[in-house]
Amino acid sequence: MNHPIRRRDFIKSSLRAASLLALGTWCGLVTKAQGKKATSRKVIILGFDGMDPRLTDMWMKEGKLPAFQRLTVQGGFHSLGTSIPPQSPVAWSNFITGMNPGGHGIFDFIHRDPKTYIPTFSASATEDASKTIRVGNFVLPIKGGTVKNLRQGKAFWQILEEHDIPATIFKIPANYPPVSSKERTLSGMGTPDLLGSYGRFRYYTTEPKEIQEDIGGGEVHLVYVIGNRVEAKLPGPINTFKKDRPEAEIDFKVFIDPQNPVAKVVIQDQEFILGEKEWSGWKRVRFPLIPSQSVTGICMFYLKEVRPNFKLYVSPINVDPGNPALPISTPESYAKELEKKFGPFFTKGLPADTSALENEILDEEEFLEQDDFVLEESRAMLDYELGRFDSGLFFYYISSTDQRQHMFWRMLDEKHPAYDPALAKKFGGVIENTYREADRILDHVLGKIDKDTVVLVMSDHGFNPFNRGFNLNTWLRQNGYLRLRNEFKQEDLEIGFPSTDWSKTKAFGLGLNGLYINQKGREAEGIVQPGPDKENLVREIARKLEEFTDPKTGEKVVLKAYVARDVYSGAHVDEAPDIVLGFNRGYRISFKSPLGRVPKDVLEDNRAKWSGDHMGAAEIMPGILLANQPFKAESPALCDLTATIMDVFGIEKPEGMIGKTIFE
Amino acid sequence: MWFFNSVIGKIFDILFLPFRGLSPWVAMIVISFLTGLLMLFIFRHTSNQEGIRRIKNKIKAHLLELRLYKDSLAQQLTSQGKILSANFKYFSYALKPMLVMIIPVMLILIQLNLWFGSHSLDIGDEALVKVKLMEGTNPLQTDIRLEVPPGIAVETPPLRIEDEGEIDWRLRATEKGIHNILFRYHDETFTKSVAVGQNRLSKIAVLKPGKGLLEQAFNPGEKPLPKNAPIESVEITYPGRRMNLFGWRIHWLIAYFGLSIVFGFAFRGVIKVEI
Repeated sequence: MNHPIRRRDFIKSSLRAASLLALGTWCGLVTKAQGKKATSRKVIILGFDGMDPRLTDMWMKEGKLPAFQRLTVQGGFHSLGTSIPPQSPVAWSNFITGMNPGGHGIFDFIHRDPKTYIPTFSASATEDASKTIRVGNFVLPIKGGTVKNLRQGKAFWQILEEHDIPATIFKIPANYPPVSSKERTLSGMGTPDLLGSYGRFRYYTTEPKEIQEDIGGGEVHLVYVIGNRVEAKLPGPINTFKKDRPEAEIDFKVFIDPQNPVAKVVIQDQEFILGEKEWSGWKRVRFPLIPSQSVTGICMFYLKEVRPNFKLYVSPINVDPGNPALPISTPESYAKELEKKFGPFFTKGLPADTSALENEILDEEEFLEQDDFVLEESRAMLDYELGRFDSGLFFYYISSTDQRQHMFWRMLDEKHPAYDPALAKKFGGVIENTYREADRILDHVLGKIDKDTVVLVMSDHGFNPFNRGFNLNTWLRQNGYLRLRNEFKQEDLEIGFPSTDWSKTKAFGLGLNGLYINQKGREAEGIVQPGPDKENLVREIARKLEEFTDPKTGEKVVLKAYVARDVYSGAHVDEAPDIVLGFNRGYRISFKSPLGRVPKDVLEDNRAKWSGDHMGAAEIMPGILLANQPFKAESPALCDLTATIMDVFGIEKPEGMIGKTIFE
Repeated sequence: MWFFNSVIGKIFDILFLPFRGLSPWVAMIVISFLTGLLMLFIFRHTSNQEGIRRIKNKIKAHLLELRLYKDSLAQQLTSQGKILSANFKYFSYALKPMLVMIIPVMLILIQLNLWFGSHSLDIGDEALVKVKLMEGTNPLQTDIRLEVPPGIAVETPPLRIEDEGEIDWRLRATEKGIHNILFRYHDETFTKSVAVGQNRLSKIAVLKPGKGLLEQAFNPGEKPLPKNAPIESVEITYPGRRMNLFGWRIHWLIAYFGLSIVFGFAFRGVIKVEI
């Protein structure tokens, strides 16, 4: 049976998590940190998401990254083997657990429900309250819902904790909700906004505008300026206390000066004036649910234009760290402690609003201003944590390296379909400057350490251009592996395969790198027998994918089609996609394909601002590794760093951890 | 009104002088204790103490009836009726002292709001200054200029809201002190104080009132605007203050009434008051 699903429905259903926060049902994790033994050796790990070894090497040689250069001389610089596929949740899970995806069970940003073919989030799952009672229009929870981290295996800081070694883990990706620990941990990439999504901005304007939702979430609200006043609503999370589950919302007003380019925003008990092109800083908003329950979040306002068109951007509503409605830290008090020290801060997994830039709600400069807030905040918190770090392990994560490469790669490459010479002139140095900023951060850290501190600098993967998008399902259709019910239909642009004829479909693509066989007994309407039939089919498709060339460039599109059983090990191999696509340089899955669409063309130019990516074959997408003491490993990989942590603290490597220490 | 306000204000200034550098809780405890005693004193001398004693005894007797005659529904209902009636009587006895106390309590609360209601700005904080014009004055045709001393920066041009008769600016605090910002309207000038980086216990006048008596009574922190001013009030949006009680952030009114009640009950025997 098919389950047609619209994107909005998908977002709504998969993000019901948001409603959980309204219930306030997640039980606080741990509220007190344990007493710890002081360790003779200390470890600091700086995780720069997506930092590329080629660019790092090039700018080091040009003398632009002196701290990296210093570390290279001191200990060494090497490319770091990434995960298959090199997606952040997968790669960071490799590092966190010391396993490959077969062990920790995270194979992609997106997995599928084999019973429905519907895409699901891979990293966390939420369930509504299991028992409720209805009183009139209200639904009251009796038994709380849950939000669950789906990553399997122990995190390295949980192992350290078992050996009484303290750890502070700052915004590591793929740790939402944070796994149970008495250590200080703050969740990073994967942490939703208050709506339960990866981030939905709001844009209030008098000028109609379309939003391209494939690249991210947002909503345009058409408003009217009447008597120099705008009245609008700020939507919040779904109100699960009400029978019809409406969105909670807050009314707000904007007063505009008739001549000066300023406006006053009045929302709840706050009022603030913004000049044109000014950010408000964090504002706390409270969404009432029922008389005794409300939920708070934080957001920023940006007055883009007062006239001729009124344009007001409101950032995705982040979970309020001072009063978190979702589990974002262990102990629960850690987020509150940071909020008390620094005020509200970005809690959404990937803080910079790439979607707003992609949709031209924010321009490049405005996006960078926003991301500068992220960096500024990160630096301040890094300093704070460094100041009190005296034992054990400290992991610190920087997201800007990844986000800026995604959005500004087109400025580096004249051949990129979205290359714009004028923009390139202005923003061509953004990536280099971001690497320089990373260098300053490293320099700061190196200035604070003592001789007993091991410093590791790493990234989860590298980067490469994203020039051409591959529609996997279209390729499968053209090669006879996927059939639509209407053979004459040129394309199917609904997500979730609503028009697919499963009785004649042998394989389908879902996620950013995944290809699944429509296997009998596993998939709801599977037709391919497990065993030799499936095995032969997998090898056949993998071979054809590797042979496929782009007629426009003559280059191979898929450099490696990894057969999951060949490359994964562990208890969860059976849950993996049957084939994992490792794209060639310049290629990636298209924006349309991951959620199950079947567009007309197999390949298309990528004209999006999201122009750099890392969905390539692991062999061409390594990350970076630097250390302040020599290391000998010839081809270190992410899993080896986990083993290295165990080694530095003299802990025997637990069963299932597959890496080797880099210091042997 | 200003003379009266300034006299009361001075009394509180002197009262709180020793506590300025301390936690606001110290001043709150002292003022709650003193006002608790004052209220007991007023209650004792304005209420019918004998009547209250008698009616409370009656209520106790009827409560005893309820326990003794559980099997008699008629008696139960009669006793409950009498308890209700006695309660009304009790409230009527308390009415006179309450009416007498309402004025001093209001005066105290208004003064306490100056001390506990708002925070001064920290250096770097932003706030709005809101000028409310007299009814019928159009902000677009009213040329009011804002001038600020060092220590305060004006960050935006005026924002004029015609419907509300209001002109707003955004200020930023840059230096510690009590700064007087100046409004210039033709040849006339008016000032409003802006407190930056003050002690944890300090007097913050949020609003400078106009000529309205009630407005002046409720905003006694600053001398009212001159009568000929086209301005009804000037307000600074200071951050609200909460009292920190073991991590709970509570409104000062809750702290004040809670403590006053505790002190009142604790000392009613000493002052020999029947409440």
